[in-house]
Amino acid sequence: MAPSQSAHVNLSPAELSFLRSTLSQTPPIRLDHTKGPKDFRSMVAEYDVLPSTNGSARIALEDGTEALVGVKAEVEKSQLRPGAGAGAGAEEGKMLSVATGEVEMRDGEEDGSRGKGRNSWIDMSVEIPGFRDDDALPVFLASMLTESLLASGELKDRLYINSRFHWKLGIDILLLSPPLSYPLALLSMTTHLALLTAHLPALKSEKDEDPLFDDDWDAAVPLYPKSSGNSTSPADKPPVIILAMAVGPNIIFDPCKEELAVADAILAIACANSTSSSTGARIVSIRTIDPPSHLTPPAVPNAMNSATGGTAPASTADALTQRELLATSGVWTPPRGGMKRSLISQITKMVVGKGGVAEEVISALQAIEVG
Amino acid sequence: MEHFSLKRSTAADRGTSNLSSKVYVRSTKSGKVQKIVRELYLRQDIPCSSTLCRACLEIAPKDYTDKAAPFVLSDTPAGSKNFPNGQYLVPDTNAFLTGMDLFEVETAFHDVIVLQTVLEEVKNRSLPLYHRLIALTKNEGKRFYVFFNEFRQETYVVREAKETINDRNDRAVRQAVQWYNHHITAAIKARSKTQTRVPSVVMITDDRDNLRKAKAESIPAITLSDFVAGLENADELLDMISAAQDQREVRSKKAQVFYPEHYTVSKMMTGVKAGTMHQGIFNVSPYNYLEGSVHVPSFDKSLLVLGRENGNRAVSGDVVVVEVLPQDQWKAPSTKIIEEETLNKNDNPEFEDGENISSERERKALQEEVKRAHGQSSEGRPQPTARVVGIIKRNWRQYVGHIDRDSVRSTSKSSRTQQMVFLVPMDKRVPKIRIRTRQAGELLGQRVLATIDSWERDSRYPIGHFVRSLGELESKGAETEALLLEWDVQYKPFPKTVLDCLPAEGHDWTVPASIDDPGWQGRRDLRDLIVCSIDPPGCVDIDDALHARKLPNGNFEVGVHIADVSHFVKPNNAMDKEASQRGTTVYLVDKRIDMLPMLLGTDLCSLKPYVERFAFSVLWEITVDADIVSSQFTKSVIRSREAFSYEQAQMRIDDDSQQDDLTNGMRTLLMLSKKLKQKRYDAGALNLASPEVKVQTESETSDPVDVQTKKLLDTNSLVEEFMLLANISVAAKNYEAFPQTALLRRHAAPPKTNFEELSNQLKVKKGLELRSDSSKAVADSLDKCTDPDEPFFNTLVRIMATRCMMSAEYFCAGTQAYPEFRHYGLASEIYTHFTSPIRRYADLEAHRQLAAAIDYEALDASLQSKSKLEGVCKNINVRHRNAQMAGRASIEYYVGQALKGKDMNEDGFVMKIFSNGFVVFVPRFGIESLIRLRDLATPEPEAEFDAENYTLKIKGDVQRNVELFEKVTVRITDEVEESTGKRKVKLTLV
Repeated sequence: MAPSQSAHVNLSPAELSFLRSTLSQTPPIRLDHTKGPKDFRSMVAEYDVLPSTNGSARIALEDGTEALVGVKAEVEKSQLRPGAGAGAGAEEGKMLSVATGEVEMRDGEEDGSRGKGRNSWIDMSVEIPGFRDDDALPVFLASMLTESLLASGELKDRLYINSRFHWKLGIDILLLSPPLSYPLALLSMTTHLALLTAHLPALKSEKDEDPLFDDDWDAAVPLYPKSSGNSTSPADKPPVIILAMAVGPNIIFDPCKEELAVADAILAIACANSTSSSTGARIVSIRTIDPPSHLTPPAVPNAMNSATGGTAPASTADALTQRELLATSGVWTPPRGGMKRSLISQITKMVVGKGGVAEEVISALQAIEVG
Repeated sequence: MEHFSLKRSTAADRGTSNLSSKVYVRSTKSGKVQKIVRELYLRQDIPCSSTLCRACLEIAPKDYTDKAAPFVLSDTPAGSKNFPNGQYLVPDTNAFLTGMDLFEVETAFHDVIVLQTVLEEVKNRSLPLYHRLIALTKNEGKRFYVFFNEFRQETYVVREAKETINDRNDRAVRQAVQWYNHHITAAIKARSKTQTRVPSVVMITDDRDNLRKAKAESIPAITLSDFVAGLENADELLDMISAAQDQREVRSKKAQVFYPEHYTVSKMMTGVKAGTMHQGIFNVSPYNYLEGSVHVPSFDKSLLVLGRENGNRAVSGDVVVVEVLPQDQWKAPSTKIIEEETLNKNDNPEFEDGENISSERERKALQEEVKRAHGQSSEGRPQPTARVVGIIKRNWRQYVGHIDRDSVRSTSKSSRTQQMVFLVPMDKRVPKIRIRTRQAGELLGQRVLATIDSWERDSRYPIGHFVRSLGELESKGAETEALLLEWDVQYKPFPKTVLDCLPAEGHDWTVPASIDDPGWQGRRDLRDLIVCSIDPPGCVDIDDALHARKLPNGNFEVGVHIADVSHFVKPNNAMDKEASQRGTTVYLVDKRIDMLPMLLGTDLCSLKPYVERFAFSVLWEITVDADIVSSQFTKSVIRSREAFSYEQAQMRIDDDSQQDDLTNGMRTLLMLSKKLKQKRYDAGALNLASPEVKVQTESETSDPVDVQTKKLLDTNSLVEEFMLLANISVAAKNYEAFPQTALLRRHAAPPKTNFEELSNQLKVKKGLELRSDSSKAVADSLDKCTDPDEPFFNTLVRIMATRCMMSAEYFCAGTQAYPEFRHYGLASEIYTHFTSPIRRYADLEAHRQLAAAIDYEALDASLQSKSKLEGVCKNINVRHRNAQMAGRASIEYYVGQALKGKDMNEDGFVMKIFSNGFVVFVPRFGIESLIRLRDLATPEPEAEFDAENYTLKIKGDVQRNVELFEKVTVRITDEVEESTGKRKVKLTLV
């Protein structure tokens, strides 16, 4: 995964080393010392801010970063899928006959939309001030967000109208402030809120006819319907991406830019609410992010610095051996190596478990809507 | 943290602010679905428009001349039994939908407040009714005021959660009425402390729920029928309420359903797009009311729709969606004449228990048709048949007819009991209409105007309501008005706004004396040309004048001068709009319904002799052999020397003693016109005869005295040839200048199939061939279709050939490719109408385009927009056809009257053969009439119908063979039909 240039922090090696040691303590002391490792920064969120969209949301974090997301839906003609569904070919043959002129219906229409959605029905665009459309950061952010939305498949299935038409969902994400920290989590939360509160016009026509919709906007159905009362299958919610980082033995959530700079490993975990129980969450996708610390230059200890009375190493092999010895001395060295498997499982447990981080975030976002 | 919210004002503070918004979903025809958000600014200065209120007058918004719109509602509104102090009426949507005819009555329903909510709902439900309502609001005498309650803050109503749109609108109406009541009371109090007569603002609605809520909120409200009951002549007015609503309540008890359900709109649209269903206009055959046809682009021939059930409540003229039946159910078009009157004479209008929709007789009639389906000729072969599955658009209008005597229970004039009667429309293609009326006794024997309200599944016939009576059956006034209404001819006198567009000098207007006058700009002075006009006798609106003179080089200068109407009728003023709507002047036997006011038509524009007049001239240089060397177009001033009738002109030309310039000029014109005519025939122009008759009337009473066929003189074709030449030249010039928007006229070549039947008939009966590959082929083979024993035969064939032709139509040049511009009948590449602007709107438009083409003046924007011109073309095509039909109907009526009481024998020819009768054409009177088998003898004689040889062998007492094209002698009488009181021309074989 390409590194995010924006998160290029201007901290000296000494500062980096200082940060790392404070974060590796037990309990870790974060940059904002009022926050614990599992605390998220406070935010102000509102939805339905753009009246002409199907759904919209805006979240502003306390460090000044702000994101705005609009969701628009358009009816589009479906491409005919060869061999899609049982007996589709035979049905199409019948439709050409003049005899009955009746449009053939599919059986089991109720769950007939399962599996009929297509990935191309969701179109996402991310705009970050100072970046072009084809720069790496917007492209990767867009693909990570899209991937998490499409992973479970329920959203695109919900866009199916009938065999000839579907909804094309266009999600426009705007970061309103310059990217001071890696904006993935913010954008994801804003998108989550926008999708949660998005509505589609109510369908009046039947089965395979040309779709006809109810004029009344108040009759519009939510894109993510609320549970109908029976709690056996709790309502579906869009996924949310949570950033988690590991420093030494500690795991820290919702890291700010400086904290990310000293991370050993960064994970972006997309979670949605659990379908089997009303608490807990399930993971939809996990991505590792190359920590920016890999790009930082290592510090030069006094012992090796001729300006402070040390001797500079004579050859690269010499330099390497000396650095190995410095690994634990508190002089800054960029972390090496990947993530331990146990670390990943530890993080996922913290996220997904009952009362875990994901559940907190999702219920917090839902509370905005209900409230 | 300081937070700036992006959200708009929430509902909480909407009550105080004057900003509001509404959100809805709009689906466009192409399938796009959009969420629309509209912001609304509320104001407090929309006036109540009552002359009682001074407060509103002061704050009423003023326009740029600093004048407020005058207040409309009277200060002494009429009262009624329920509201003796006077009332302002506020009708609800359903009141307008069911009782529009009531509101249009002159004697009642004044001072009406039309709320914006109600207006918009009416617009969404029925566009024609909406237009009528708008016309009412513009009518000063009716004092209808449109109050914009949605924009006025005090009457603006926000939809509550879970409240339906209808409930919200009802609440808005109640709120408005309540506000008005308070407002008027306050206005009266402010006016004078002692005034006690406070008019009440009353809501009129038929919605029970709304009424109940209004009563609970102590808002004065009443149903439409209750209100009308409190007025004078309540009985007549009550009849005019649409029957649709009542019927629904009565019918709900009955479960019997006659017709299949219509498909939903989305299903039909999907089907049409997919090609499994087809959309077209439903036409009913005038000979067989059970047979309809729908023309759809995918099939060459029209699809047949046979039987009532398949017709599924479609009325002639509706836009319907049909579904083709499986091939084994295809039938042939019927060869029998089936009339509703005779077949369903004994139907009871009150109830229909136990009846199937197709009575036994109808079913038998149809059954015999199936036998034909296996015949060999194209006549008997089955054609694609379909059934109607839904109606896209109803094209119902007001229908003229009379009440079926057999359906009236009590004929007493004084009886005020409500009864259901049948109205038989004049147009045979429209089914009987069930009407509930209290005046049945009075309406018998009258020509009546009614309209259809609805046709539900459980009713065999459509139901409607009565609008007004036109007068006694067969009285000239009633019959004339009836046919004008039937053909939608606008015959009311010109309104003041139109007359205001006439020049102020009126009849004293003259061509300006001095050449420096701006009126002369761009005009050539052609007053020295020897111009004359040749028109039918008694013509006062002279459109055209001609002249011819020899040029020094041996060629001739010929000029056609047309009345310069475009100088007096400027685009887009009231007179132009009225003329555009009328489309053409309608000529009835004794009346003329003008397109333009008489001042212009018969005086200022008319090229009267001995006076100077403005004209638009087309000048040619023509060789002796009638070849055109050059042509010019110019605006001019002429002075016509004489106005001749065709006979007078002919006599003058024939009189060798007359050798003055004028007569010689006329002789030149005649010589050239003959050559031009020959050229046209060589190119393939058709000479089709139409059975034109002239009704001679007594001068005093204009009662018909005699009927004669018109004779064609040489001078007729003189004028005709030069008019054609002018039209063609102007068409070319207009097309050159405006290739996308020139207004032209075309005549499409008839498809081969149209001629099939006629050419087959000629081949079988007379061994003659009718070739139809090109117009020249048609013209030549028509010339050869003669019968040495019978001179009239050729004319008969021409008449029948005319019926195979397509109709000519006006069109906009950009809508067709150049080859399609052809005028088949005239064998001309391009054609337009230019020479009669006084009586045709198309010509006026052509004048405007030509004026722009010669750079006389700029072209108005309305003539540059293709879409606007297409709309104009559509309208004038319809008006042109209707005018023709109205003229023919008028002649038919007069011929019928001329034959009243007479009993004579005349020659006739058999034109069409059915299995139970045949059609005879009588050339002397130009009438064609049906002779049914049962009219020949009682009991109805047996007959053998041979469809392939076109013969009918009648057995029984009559013992006679009737063949197509046979000349027969018929006895013409008139008889009064028992059941309907109508007078009909009756023919019987002698």
